[in-house]
Amino acid sequence: MSNFAMLFSGFSVVFSFQNVAVCLLGAVLGLIVGAMPGIGSLAGVALLLPLTYKFNPTTAIILLGSLYYSNMYGGSFSAILLNIPGDSPAVMTMLDGYPMAKQKGRPGQALFTSNFASFIGGTIGMIILTFLGPGLANVGLHFGPQDMTALLLVAMTSIGWLVGKNPTQGVILTMLGILLACIGMDPQTGAPRYNFGNMYLMGGIPFVPFVIGTVGFSQVLRLMSERKNTVSEEKIVNQKLTIRGSMLTGHDIRRLLPPAIRSGVLGTFVGVLPGAGATTGAFLGYAMNKAFKSEEPFGTGAIEGIASCEAANNAAAAGAFAPLLALGIPGSGTGAVLLGGLMMWGLNPGPLLFTNNPDFAWGLIASLFLANLLTLMISIGVIPFLIIILTVPIKVIIPVVLVICMVGSYANTYSMYGVVIMFVSGLVSYICEKSGYSTSPMLLSFVLAPLLENNMRKAFITSQGSVGIFFTSPISCVFMVILFVIMLSPVIRGVIKVGKKRLRPNK
Amino acid sequence: MKKVLLFVLVVALMFPLFAKGGVEAAGSSEGFKPAKDITWYCTSKPGGGSDIYTRAFSDAAVANGWLSKAPLINYKTDGAGEVGRNEVANTKQNADYTLLTFNSGDLMPMVANTPNRIRNFTPIAVMATDKQLLFINPEKAKYKTFADAVAAARTGTQIVIAGSKGDDIELYGMLIKELGLRENQMAYITNDSTADAIASGLGGHVDLVMSKPAAASEYVKAGMLIPILALSDSRFTGNLASAPTLHEIDARYNDVELPVWRGIVGPADMSQEAAKFYSDLAKKVSESKEWNEGYLMKNSLKSSFMDYQEAKAYMEKYEADYLKKIGK
Repeated sequence: MSNFAMLFSGFSVVFSFQNVAVCLLGAVLGLIVGAMPGIGSLAGVALLLPLTYKFNPTTAIILLGSLYYSNMYGGSFSAILLNIPGDSPAVMTMLDGYPMAKQKGRPGQALFTSNFASFIGGTIGMIILTFLGPGLANVGLHFGPQDMTALLLVAMTSIGWLVGKNPTQGVILTMLGILLACIGMDPQTGAPRYNFGNMYLMGGIPFVPFVIGTVGFSQVLRLMSERKNTVSEEKIVNQKLTIRGSMLTGHDIRRLLPPAIRSGVLGTFVGVLPGAGATTGAFLGYAMNKAFKSEEPFGTGAIEGIASCEAANNAAAAGAFAPLLALGIPGSGTGAVLLGGLMMWGLNPGPLLFTNNPDFAWGLIASLFLANLLTLMISIGVIPFLIIILTVPIKVIIPVVLVICMVGSYANTYSMYGVVIMFVSGLVSYICEKSGYSTSPMLLSFVLAPLLENNMRKAFITSQGSVGIFFTSPISCVFMVILFVIMLSPVIRGVIKVGKKRLRPNK
Repeated sequence: MKKVLLFVLVVALMFPLFAKGGVEAAGSSEGFKPAKDITWYCTSKPGGGSDIYTRAFSDAAVANGWLSKAPLINYKTDGAGEVGRNEVANTKQNADYTLLTFNSGDLMPMVANTPNRIRNFTPIAVMATDKQLLFINPEKAKYKTFADAVAAARTGTQIVIAGSKGDDIELYGMLIKELGLRENQMAYITNDSTADAIASGLGGHVDLVMSKPAAASEYVKAGMLIPILALSDSRFTGNLASAPTLHEIDARYNDVELPVWRGIVGPADMSQEAAKFYSDLAKKVSESKEWNEGYLMKNSLKSSFMDYQEAKAYMEKYEADYLKKIGK
């Protein structure tokens, strides 16, 4: 039977009252969990998993799969409205989403862009998953540590665009991010590093509380120090609080589509790579689309910026199901929990799942299509209610955001350690920003450095320390060429410019 | 009158304290029986291996009516689990109502990186053990047998093994020591999970994959992995039976194994009565259908129950052997 026919058989499984109801429930819960900073899909799926043990496996995976998937939508809500990412992939959404909502006074359009781009990215991911799923999972396996290293080095170049006006300051904070990411257990030897005898630091600095502090709590400190009484001094919501008032214009949609489609394809392939996940997908989607023309510069509230990372992270979430279903290999922490669920429901995840349990595998894929549509409708429906947040006076917003920061940090680590990290990183970030240092490079390097270190060390173990490994594998060789082109293009452009200037007086 | 009312109020408020003490006193004289909620520490995140094990135990105990209420699971993952282990070790107030999921993979980093030792806990039971094997990807492997891989390593070709953290690293160390090889002759790549190690084997990025039977079983069924060495003192059964032990491959070598155990401990201050109660409970759970079919069979684990006295001796010896090995 063709994949298309199998997908339709999957829809016949999904369209029972019970499965549609749990899909809807998963979509709603995923949006809520995603919108609450710090909780994220991993905790959401893990907390719901024990309740599904008595369910039929297909119904259970539909619930958890739709929760995981719709979480990618919800993560952008708080990133756009409060400058606090709901989950780690939403860090990039924040860069353009918050300026578009606050400085440009278009929160409804920012949310609409995020939702619509998520829908496009997710749909592309699911179509690719349907037709190329098992084959794509095998392609992902060809990515060795040297290829992942080269890919991550390309992703690291995106930091160059975020260093701000002073490159030296940007480099300092990039290095600080890398240094902070080194705290904890050595990924290869398991020995503790830079913990100074502190037991808490042995597990490293948790990412989510660190991000919440760096962007959320530092913002609370900034608002308090500026002593503004209302939001009117920034830019009040200059639109009607209705769905129609939040709609994008035809011109906006024309701006949104190309980056969303590009990111949808790229994100799916990133999601397939073992260990890459939706966060790396969002980073690469943003980095790739920055190389294309956009009406406004990225980082200033550009529609293209929101669309590129939101489409990529949803596509990556869909793509991550390919290795999970076709090979039993989870592409992320959430995937690992879903894998545990599969075993608890009596299924054997692995290469025989599609053959032995087609109803289950295709039912899940079909439910993702349904969850994508349901989540889009719900998330567009709630936009008018969400943007009311921006009209709340600052004296109310400050304690609310502070509580969200504390609860989110605690929920992510299940301890006060996360809250302490949030406060410290927020304070340091506030001091940095007051001194003119942008903290975005620190966040990016903090996210990418552990992945880069782990893959680079694996590559060097395999090659016995030879750098040649990055040039012998065709995949890594291509990425290394792209890396050199990106790194050398400003130098070459500069040389050409100087050459032209010298030629002019002679004319 | 006010003073009398105040006195009555104070006595009334203090009554529950005496009542609580009374239950505990009764418990200690007539054998322990839980009179309040049990807090069970788990040093991995929800959904992880330790969490599944803890919940499977709890579900079996509640389903059979041996516990009236499921224990409250407290996820303490700070400091790679060391904070949670330290907290349990130092629990004084509620020692009879505190449990910790404790495995060999927890013991090794704990004694290597912190001053915490097994003497700071009350061992309650060992529930199951597991062992590892080495696998090859038949489509991409350059060496079809383990003997070929060792011969290649001796002649200057580096052999790379992919495995997980903790006990897999220790087992690799024991293996190359027994073979008389150096780390650059037979190298090891640490992965976050066995699934990642298998992925690198399927992709052909490493020569050998170290895995426990449960994680590899579906790939063996699909013909994507073949077992070539049993890291055990005897062969495995079923579709893993084709893998010889190290001694079978070459009589000059001794078999290499590092049984991975899953156990339960309480704080050092836990009473003997409470330890006995939980140990008896663990024995009943280990014999239950829910545990054997719902947990052990699904995860291809071997039941190897040890009560609180046997578990104490076993864990202490395990710790002493490991400390000696790492020179501490």
